[in-house]
Amino acid sequence: MESLASNGHSHHQLKAGLTCSVLFLCLFSIQVSGAERAIEIIDEMEALYQGASSSATMTMIVETPQFERTMEMEASSIGTEKSFIRILSPRKDRGIATLKLDMEMWNFLPKINRVIKVPPSMMMGSWMGSDFTNDDLVKQTTLTDEYSLTLEETDEQYAIILVPKEETVTVWGKIDYIVNKEYMVPVAQNFYDDNGEIIRKLEFSELRDFSGRMIPSRLEMIPMNKEGNKTIIIYDELKFDPPEVDESIFTLRNLRSRF
Amino acid sequence: MLLLKLAFRNIFRQRRRSLLTAISMAGGYILCTFSFSLSEGSYNNAISFFTLDHTGHVQIHKEDYLQRPKIHKTIDDPEQLSEILDSREDIAAHTLRVFAPGIAYSDTDNSPAQIIGVDLERERTTSTLEQKVSSGSYIGSDLDSDGYYSAMIGAGLANSLNIGLGDELILISQGADGSVANDIYIVNGIIGNRDSPDRNTVFLPLVAAQEFLSMYGRVHEVSILLNDEGDSRSEASLLQEELQDLSVAPWQVVESTFYQSMQTDKQGNNFSMGVIVFLVFVGVLNTVLMSVLERTREFGVLKAIGSRPTKIALMITLETGLLASLSVLMGLLISLPLIGWFTAVGFELAQPMDVGGIVMSHMTGEMSFYVFAIPLALIVLFALLISIPTGIRAARISPTEAMRST
Amino acid sequence: MLTLKLAFRNLFRNIRRTILTVMLISLSLAALIAVDGIMRGMLTLMVENVTSTIFGEAQIHRVGFRENMDVDIYLENSNELEQTLQQDASLESYTPRVMSGAMISSSYNVSAGLLYGVDADRERTISKLAQAVVRGEYLSGADSELLIGHTMADLLEVDLGDRIVLTLSEAGSGELAQALYRISGIVDFGMRELDDNFVFVNISSARQTLGMSDQQTHEFVLKFVNSEDAENPDLSIFQQLNDEEVEALGWLELNEQLGLIIELSSFTSLIVGLILFFLASLGVINSMFMSIYERIYEFGVIKAIGTRPAAISLLILFEALLIALISSILGIILGYLLGLYTSNYGIGMGEMEFSGIAINNNIFSEFHISQFTQFPVYVVLLTIVAAIYPARFAAKIIPSDALQRSL
Repeated sequence: MESLASNGHSHHQLKAGLTCSVLFLCLFSIQVSGAERAIEIIDEMEALYQGASSSATMTMIVETPQFERTMEMEASSIGTEKSFIRILSPRKDRGIATLKLDMEMWNFLPKINRVIKVPPSMMMGSWMGSDFTNDDLVKQTTLTDEYSLTLEETDEQYAIILVPKEETVTVWGKIDYIVNKEYMVPVAQNFYDDNGEIIRKLEFSELRDFSGRMIPSRLEMIPMNKEGNKTIIIYDELKFDPPEVDESIFTLRNLRSRF
Repeated sequence: MLLLKLAFRNIFRQRRRSLLTAISMAGGYILCTFSFSLSEGSYNNAISFFTLDHTGHVQIHKEDYLQRPKIHKTIDDPEQLSEILDSREDIAAHTLRVFAPGIAYSDTDNSPAQIIGVDLERERTTSTLEQKVSSGSYIGSDLDSDGYYSAMIGAGLANSLNIGLGDELILISQGADGSVANDIYIVNGIIGNRDSPDRNTVFLPLVAAQEFLSMYGRVHEVSILLNDEGDSRSEASLLQEELQDLSVAPWQVVESTFYQSMQTDKQGNNFSMGVIVFLVFVGVLNTVLMSVLERTREFGVLKAIGSRPTKIALMITLETGLLASLSVLMGLLISLPLIGWFTAVGFELAQPMDVGGIVMSHMTGEMSFYVFAIPLALIVLFALLISIPTGIRAARISPTEAMRST
Repeated sequence: MLTLKLAFRNLFRNIRRTILTVMLISLSLAALIAVDGIMRGMLTLMVENVTSTIFGEAQIHRVGFRENMDVDIYLENSNELEQTLQQDASLESYTPRVMSGAMISSSYNVSAGLLYGVDADRERTISKLAQAVVRGEYLSGADSELLIGHTMADLLEVDLGDRIVLTLSEAGSGELAQALYRISGIVDFGMRELDDNFVFVNISSARQTLGMSDQQTHEFVLKFVNSEDAENPDLSIFQQLNDEEVEALGWLELNEQLGLIIELSSFTSLIVGLILFFLASLGVINSMFMSIYERIYEFGVIKAIGTRPAAISLLILFEALLIALISSILGIILGYLLGLYTSNYGIGMGEMEFSGIAINNNIFSEFHISQFTQFPVYVVLLTIVAAIYPARFAAKIIPSDALQRSL
């Protein structure tokens, strides 16, 4: 059903090349080149859903012991620094939009017709009531800078272990990044505390073909310390480098515009 | 009984002495009741100030909302609960509330705010919210002609947001269903002043808050006012038994820090009361001893003409007891209206106290059974106790010695 | 003077009555002293509970800071300020603080709270923070140290050594700032308001996170050599510091509630004192009258032979004066002894339901010079005043009526 995208091919070649150099330069510590490879892999994963630019429609389901909420939204992005998300349903929340530029975030609330900059105090708060925090959305890009990476592999999977550097400001003691070798897609991201206990899990599943790429269409964020809480994001549509996505979308002006 | 008649007659025969003794005891009684009234009064005043402000005497929440407030810990069927509470005799009134932390925005500024949704009608009889309105009016729960709900905001918020009566207020928070709660309200009332504890609070009509937070029909807190504050703990346990799936707490638990300091205060008070009672005792001792021992000569004569010692002792005791009772009755007659005035009107304070928007201008006392009964019992008891050994001693003395003494 | 000598001798004529009266008056005085001591002790306790826990006896801020604790409103030129404070003789110690609201996150949960950056060493001299540490260690100056209230620690599901990330806005720029700390100590003040909401770090670290220089401070907390100085707004240090930009206020001005309670308390003590006085005077009047009636025959006689009414009045008054003086001395001794006991052992009565660092429940009586100078004077005056009516009565005795009295 799926054929590997051209990206995948080149990566296969690259990987093959790297493996050779590793074997050849066996004097070098495996960790060093592993780390480089790890960085590459991470970068690739992060770019997976973005490309140079992308647009998507998705469904987000938030489950808690108290309620279950389903939202539909459309999102656009350029790289990992700029993204624009708009809620389409439910009716009550239709038109609520979030603009992210680098490390800053703004929300537009149509009912009160206001753009609110997300203050630092709300950054650790959840995004739209989900198990993702505002911080998550903003911080994805810095994983490779602020963590030390080691690479482990099995036949099927890469496991990249990220340990925060001394000065890195994060609540996590360790993060695992599990990648499927065959399709070069993420399988899971596990977040641990300092004692090695898993606190949060992000699982990727249900590969689908989106504009020629094989990408997991279902993401599940599961907090392990909160019973019955879960957030599921399902990509209904995902387009890469679509023509309608240009810089003008990622402005406050656009955030405010009538929808 | 002859003795009784004798005792009675003796009292009135020795008018001057009896009067002096009686005045002394009556005076002691009046002062004692006054102190009790003052002590009880100040203690209770402080409590009612506090509990009437917003705490109430008993509060009901879901689970451990009180210690760990979370928006989803709600009382889901407040109507049924209200019915139960309305039917209970000891409950004077109750009100329903909803809480959420949020951010308030005006055209120009924003500030964190505590959002409280209240049942405006019920709140009138359960707390002093209405009296705290410093400008504008106590809002109603209806939508205005443009479809907006009214809000009352603390003076601190009005100041930091630079908004006033008639202006639009925007509130943002998180709903019980996880959605972003956001809406516009019209400021129609300002609460307290910039130092009030409520200065950064926004009060909304209950329905408005429930809508805002997507928690239709649910509330976080039920605050109850009892007819008698003293029943707080017992009523709380009774209610807790009946309402198995909710948490009921008396105000002593809800406001434990305040309660602790009140307890400390009470200690100091009790000590003072103890001292006063002791002094009253000494006064009675003084009085009784003097009046009985003065008459040693008289008793000597009685013995000389044949009265039996026991009879004499008995008569002394009876006389003293009777005199004491008459004295306190006299005291009661004066004390009743005095304490009545003190409770109703009280002393005017040099400077009226402003406690978070409520003004206390007088220091009043308390009128209760104990205030009158305890001093009465104490004085009569003291008098009797003192008179017994004294009487016995007086009765035993030899007539010749007695007649020689002063 | 003859009258004085007579008065003195008259006291011994009815020893029993004299003793009883002296007993009443001296006990009243002792009671007054005791109650005053307790009231003072109670007030001190109340004030101490507020000031010594964390609040301090006086605070210095930039004008406007106190309204919303806006992190942007800080004092500049901290060095200069410290110099001024250093040189002031009325201060025992002072300490700087930096504070901000912050989101406090752990690996497990997140909560809003208040960050306090404190100077570990100097803080010891001002507040009870060090004593409130129940697990782990007090701050020693290292950057990543953090003390957290025990109930907040429960909420965030953390323990010693765990990560804490503080998220807040930088002072001035408002930009997002985050910093990583490790829990080095858990505090328990016994006060929900503190345990639920506070985290404490070293001030240098807090300043760094907030993007503030070491010349910028939100608050200085002061402690006076003489605690009462804090209540005096005319004190030189206050005069010196207060201007348009800076405000220096004692706890009384900062904490209106407490001030009102104290006023109320004083008013109540006043009334209690008056009650005690009345009780005592009743006894005095009673006693005086008794003694007059007893000697009424005598008075009749001496009046008949020409003693002037004024002289009789004077006699009575002197008797009262002497009784008062004797009673005062006795009362002072008793009051002192009682005060000695209660100031060392306190009057902690019954069971203490609550106790903790913040709320100390034992009231210790306090001595004050006025108890031994003013009160006895009042008592003597009172006794004399109480004796006026009986004295006049004695002076007005009509000899013929008096001489008719038999027994």
